[in-house]
Amino acid sequence: MIKLTQIKKSYGRHQVLKGIDLTVEKGEVVAILGPSGSGKTTLLRCMNYLERPSEGEITIDGFTVNCKRPSKSDIHSLRKQSAMVFQQYNLFRHKTALENVMEGLVVVQKVPKEQARKRSIELLEKVGLGSKLDAYPSQLSGGQQQRVGIARALALNPKVILFDEPTSSLDPELVGEVLSVIRKIAREGITMIIVTHEMSFAQEVAGHVIFIDDGMIVERGTPNELFNSPKEERTKQFLKRYTPDGVYSI
Amino acid sequence: MGQHQFEISYVFEYLVKLLPSLKITLLIVFSSILIGAAVGLLVALPRLYRIPVLQRLSGIYVSFFRGTPILIQLFLFYYGMPEMLKLIGIDVSRTSALYFVILTYSLHSGAYISELIRGAVAAVDRGQVEAAYAMGMSGYQAFSRIVLPQALAISIPVFANLVIGNLKDTSLAFSLGIMEMSGTARTISALSQRFVEIYIALAILYLLISLALQKLFVRLERHLFRHEPAAAAAKREPRGKRTFFRKFGSVTDIPGKEARL
Repeated sequence: MIKLTQIKKSYGRHQVLKGIDLTVEKGEVVAILGPSGSGKTTLLRCMNYLERPSEGEITIDGFTVNCKRPSKSDIHSLRKQSAMVFQQYNLFRHKTALENVMEGLVVVQKVPKEQARKRSIELLEKVGLGSKLDAYPSQLSGGQQQRVGIARALALNPKVILFDEPTSSLDPELVGEVLSVIRKIAREGITMIIVTHEMSFAQEVAGHVIFIDDGMIVERGTPNELFNSPKEERTKQFLKRYTPDGVYSI
Repeated sequence: MGQHQFEISYVFEYLVKLLPSLKITLLIVFSSILIGAAVGLLVALPRLYRIPVLQRLSGIYVSFFRGTPILIQLFLFYYGMPEMLKLIGIDVSRTSALYFVILTYSLHSGAYISELIRGAVAAVDRGQVEAAYAMGMSGYQAFSRIVLPQALAISIPVFANLVIGNLKDTSLAFSLGIMEMSGTARTISALSQRFVEIYIALAILYLLISLALQKLFVRLERHLFRHEPAAAAAKREPRGKRTFFRKFGSVTDIPGKEARL
C-alpha cells in the first residue's frame, strides 16, 4: 500500500534522514516515535512532499514518485493520495468549520456543493462538532480545531492520513477528546501514520511502532515487542523516560 | 497677499465652485489605484516566487518609484515620454496631459502596492499554504482561495493609507496644468485674490474625502476580518468628545494599524 525506499533528506550538509525504508499495509495504523530532532516529522512530511526528499522513492497505492527528479504533476498526484492533520491544526482561518471540511471536496475533488455540504456535516457530527458548523477557527478551542482538522482530512477519503503530532500543542485536558476521535477512526480500518509523543496512545492504537533516531529507523515491531521487550540499547534508553504504564515522568 | 478682508461666506461659495473639479481628482485617484493594483500584483509575483530576471527588474522598478519624488516622475513622464516615443514613430504630443498624470500615478501606486502585497502575503501563516497543498490544491488554487483572501484583510490598513496618500498627492497634478481641485483653486485664487478662503475650502474638501475613505476602509477591514471577532471588537473606536480631535489630528491614522504593522 505504502512503500518508502531509501528516503534521504539533507539540509545543506546536515543529513536529517539517512535512508529510510518503510512499508505500511492497507488498514494498518503505524506510530512513529523518536526524540525531538530525530527526523520523524520530516519523514512524515516527505510522504506528501511538504518536504522534498533528496533521494529515494515513494509509492502510495501503486502511484510511485522517484524523488531524484519528480515532475510537478507527480507531486500533485502524490499529494492527492494522502491527507494530513497538523500539529498547529492549520485550519483555514477565514473559513468556518463547515467550509474548512468542504473546501477540499469542492475545490480539489470537484464534488457538487450540496453533496459536499452533506458529507461534511456528517463528518463534523462524527467528530462531535455538529453544533459548531458555522464557527470560525478563532472561536474554537484547540481540541475542537484539531477535530475539525481530522474531519477535513477524512472528507478527502484519502488512501492514508498522516498525523503530525496531533496533540502536541493542546492543553493536557483537551488531548483526550482528540485521541478518542483518532481511536474511533482507527477502528474503521483507515490507514494511518501517526507521529506522536503519546506513548500509551501509540501502544494502544497502533498495529506497528517504529522508533527513529538520528535519521534512521532504530527498531520496529508490534507495540508489545517494542514497549515490553526492546532489543536496541537506544530504544530502551528512550523508553526509560516513560513509566511502564505509559504515563510521563518528567 | 490677500487684498480682501477675510469673509467666511466666501469659503462656502468656493466650496461649491471647487466641487466640479472633484471629479477629476477622484478620476485620477481611482483609476491610478485600479491600474496600480493590477501593476502591483504583476510586479509582486516575480518577487514572491523568486523568478530570476523578472525579480531584479521589478526590484528596480519599485526602487525608482519609491525613491524619487512624484513631482519629478510627473515631469519625466510628461516631457520625457513623448520624446522617447517619437524615436519609434509614435506621436503623443496631442495626447491630453491627464493621461500622463494617470499613468504616472498608476505606476507610482503600483510600486507601493507591490510592496504591500509582498508584505501581506508573507504575513499569512505558512501553515495555511501547507494545509492547502496537503489536500491537493494547485499553487494557483492555494494562492487565490487561501492566501489572497487573508492577505487582503491584512493589507487593508496599509492600503487605506496608500489611497489617502494618493488623494493628497494628486494636488501636484496642477503642475502639468490639470484642472483637478488644487489646479482649479489656484486659478480661482489668481483671479479673486481670496487665497485664504479658497484654500480653507480646498482643505475642507480633501479632509472630507479622506474621512469618508477612512470610514469606508475601517468598515471593509471589519468585514474582511469577520473571522476574527475578538480582534475586530478590540478595534472598534471608542466614542467620546475626544473623537473629534483624534480624527482631525491625523487623517491617515487608521485604528488598528499599529497592531499589525
